[in-house]
Amino acid sequence: MLTINNLVKHRGTQEILSGISFKARPGRVTGFLGPNGAGKSSTLRILLGLDRATSGSALINGKPFAELHNPLLTVGTALDGSGAHRMRTGRAHLRWMARAVGLPRSRVEEVLELVGLTNAAGKRVGSYSLGMGKRLGMAAALLGDPEILVLDEPVNGLDPEGIRWIRTFLRERAASGNTVLLSSHLMGELAETVDDVVIINHGKVVADGTLEEVTGNHFTLEEAFFALTSEHAGDTV
Amino acid sequence: MSVSSSRKITQILGAELGKLVTLPLIWLALMWTFILNLVLAAAFTSVGLQGAAGTQSVLNIGLASMGYLQAGFIILGILATCSEYTGGQIRTTLTTIPWRGFQLSTKHLALAIITIPAAFIIATSGVLYTFFMMRDTAVVNEIDTMIQTLVGATGYLTLTTLLSAAIGALLRRTTPALVVLLGYYFIVSPLTRVFLPSIKNYLNYFPDTAGYYMYMPPSSDEINVLTPMQGTGFSMLWTLIFITVAIVFYRKRDA
Repeated sequence: MLTINNLVKHRGTQEILSGISFKARPGRVTGFLGPNGAGKSSTLRILLGLDRATSGSALINGKPFAELHNPLLTVGTALDGSGAHRMRTGRAHLRWMARAVGLPRSRVEEVLELVGLTNAAGKRVGSYSLGMGKRLGMAAALLGDPEILVLDEPVNGLDPEGIRWIRTFLRERAASGNTVLLSSHLMGELAETVDDVVIINHGKVVADGTLEEVTGNHFTLEEAFFALTSEHAGDTV
Repeated sequence: MSVSSSRKITQILGAELGKLVTLPLIWLALMWTFILNLVLAAAFTSVGLQGAAGTQSVLNIGLASMGYLQAGFIILGILATCSEYTGGQIRTTLTTIPWRGFQLSTKHLALAIITIPAAFIIATSGVLYTFFMMRDTAVVNEIDTMIQTLVGATGYLTLTTLLSAAIGALLRRTTPALVVLLGYYFIVSPLTRVFLPSIKNYLNYFPDTAGYYMYMPPSSDEINVLTPMQGTGFSMLWTLIFITVAIVFYRKRDA
């Protein structure tokens, strides 16, 4: 369970998060939506202990990220890009991560196989395409077989086959009781994957509920998104 | 310390070592430092061979390249920490090992493990080259003095690498870190000694000058302000101060 409670973040004189609160529950895929600069990445970075909140809390199973006993085995994360040095090979990148938490090298090969990167694993990350970088990020997120996944724009740059794979995979993870929180700007994709939706705009939550609740009277999630982030910015559904 | 904590330390140290040895830039820096040191040693030896026999020692000529050699180790230290900020690797590092102070300390330890043998081999290679080329013409130091001096040189290069890594962690970007460190070691410090002789005595306690006393054998020709032990103490103190400051900032700021 991910619990974001009244999160506020100031950067300089600007308030980029103004009291964000929501939950991502086990067994559900939660979509985290918002226009560019709305505060999605900042929220995820605070949740993962990368940035500090000015006030409020972001907890994973009731604890801040840094207090988890073995974070990689609890939370799998894939933020923007591959998260790997360009001159290191994909396999070497996953191996140091595996070594840090005492996972065997065979687990690295398993996740490389799972994301379809085995043949490119010996190549430097700098030579990867955007989609291959995403796959490496996914492999890193899945390395510890965690109960929680936090993914930032996971389908961005993937080919149709990759997108379908992610969709099916995330649905299966949630079906087996895991928690999945993903941000995306691809509404059509998200509508087919998520159970719950949180929409933020200008650092505030403007909608939080099941997909049906948030879509409401609109025909699609996309329509609801534009209605909430432009006309009625600030009103919570 | 519990078994679990000690296993965690071993795992994270292994991961940090893995990161360093799988980064081609680290090997390139070490390889070029080794080659350039041999070229410089050959040049200084060649100059030494033209001088009068018995006037210079093998150690003095073999370690004459140390001033330039340290540049390679400064680059090594900077690469070790600044490489975290390429390709967003810092996010992966901190979501895998979120205990920031512990992670950065372990990175310095892993860097020391790699630097100590590399520094010893590189410093020794220059001295050995000089020894073989000049054993008939130069004063050959006693083996104890040779070993002591090479250990001092290894210590100095290792502390310089760790200090550079700390500055790299503070600045987070390779170019500014290179400008600051190479600017200090090769421009600010030498020029200050020349143009501000009034503060020359204070400069002896700075990391580069104090470090000099770690590997240069005491000479009757010059005034030795610090003993090798004092030089080591001051160099270690500077390195620890910078590592501590780097850890404090690393823990406090956004990644």
